[in-house]
Amino acid sequence: MLNNVNLPWLPGQYYAAMKWEFWWQVHFKGVNVVDMSAASLGDFLYIAVFFLGGLGFAVGPFILVFFISPRKTRNIANKTGQFIECGMDPIGPAWIRYGVVYYLYALIFLAFAVDVLFLFPVALVYDSGQFAGGIRDFVEIVIFVGILSLALVYAWKKGVFKWDRKVYHRQ
Amino acid sequence: MGSESIPSSIIQLSTVDKVLEIGRANSLWPMTFGLACCAIEMMAAGASRFDLSRFGAEVFRPSPRQCDVMIVAGTISKKMFPAVKTLYDQMPEPKWVIAMGNCAISGGPFMFDGQYGIIEGADTFLPVDVYIPGCPPRPEALIEGILELEEKITGSRRWPRVESGLSQP
Repeated sequence: MLNNVNLPWLPGQYYAAMKWEFWWQVHFKGVNVVDMSAASLGDFLYIAVFFLGGLGFAVGPFILVFFISPRKTRNIANKTGQFIECGMDPIGPAWIRYGVVYYLYALIFLAFAVDVLFLFPVALVYDSGQFAGGIRDFVEIVIFVGILSLALVYAWKKGVFKWDRKVYHRQ
Repeated sequence: MGSESIPSSIIQLSTVDKVLEIGRANSLWPMTFGLACCAIEMMAAGASRFDLSRFGAEVFRPSPRQCDVMIVAGTISKKMFPAVKTLYDQMPEPKWVIAMGNCAISGGPFMFDGQYGIIEGADTFLPVDVYIPGCPPRPEALIEGILELEEKITGSRRWPRVESGLSQP
């Protein structure tokens, strides 16, 4: 470690702090590096002064500005409070409700995606020697695709593919 | 417009006000706001060749709530009239208005008997501080207008007055 390093240009206490024995004593043997008994009221005063200084630095400008800035602004059309800052009158709130037709339509893509995802490995091995010729594999694929297709049938029945705006009534 | 009461602060200290005025005059923040071809000259004034930032007025703000100066750069059509009024309302005090170009001063070439499309001058509804004539004014003229406004705010001219080259013998 640093025991072998000769650093004559460092003052003694810094050099001591670089050795691991120093920190070992601090942490595990309870040696007081800073003697807390010597901490007087003056030390806490320093903290208080710095705390108040920091607080004043942050809050002070707000107070200062409150007193030396003009309190209101000249008006010629009474539009000072208008939220939109481009000069045009807003035509309604931004929190509008809109149709989710495309959202439902996009969800159906998931059914297609799962379908295709599992059919790729099937397509790879279907013609290999291990599986070729069996009617059982074909039936299994038909069952798999058939179950997935029920999702489409369900969506179709629900009218997802009709591009109509859906109106929901709250109970 | 005659005299107009300007909103003031709660505490007024003349020395502090003088310092604030110097600060305001040397950091005028115009609004990014052009109505017609004068705005092209305003853009040129803000760009590198004419460099309005030498005089502290290059910070064109996109929101009226951060602006000091409204440069009415161009024709105020009746369609844009409410927008100009709204933008002026939304600027915080202290605020100044520069009427740039003949259209903003008086309607310019569009002012004739029976015209129905434009407002004949910004000073019909705004307290204009500086008028910059020209159709359109050159960027140097806009810079001179900014300097005039600085002079109006602080009461003294910080930069030397440049004589016109044409008036020299």
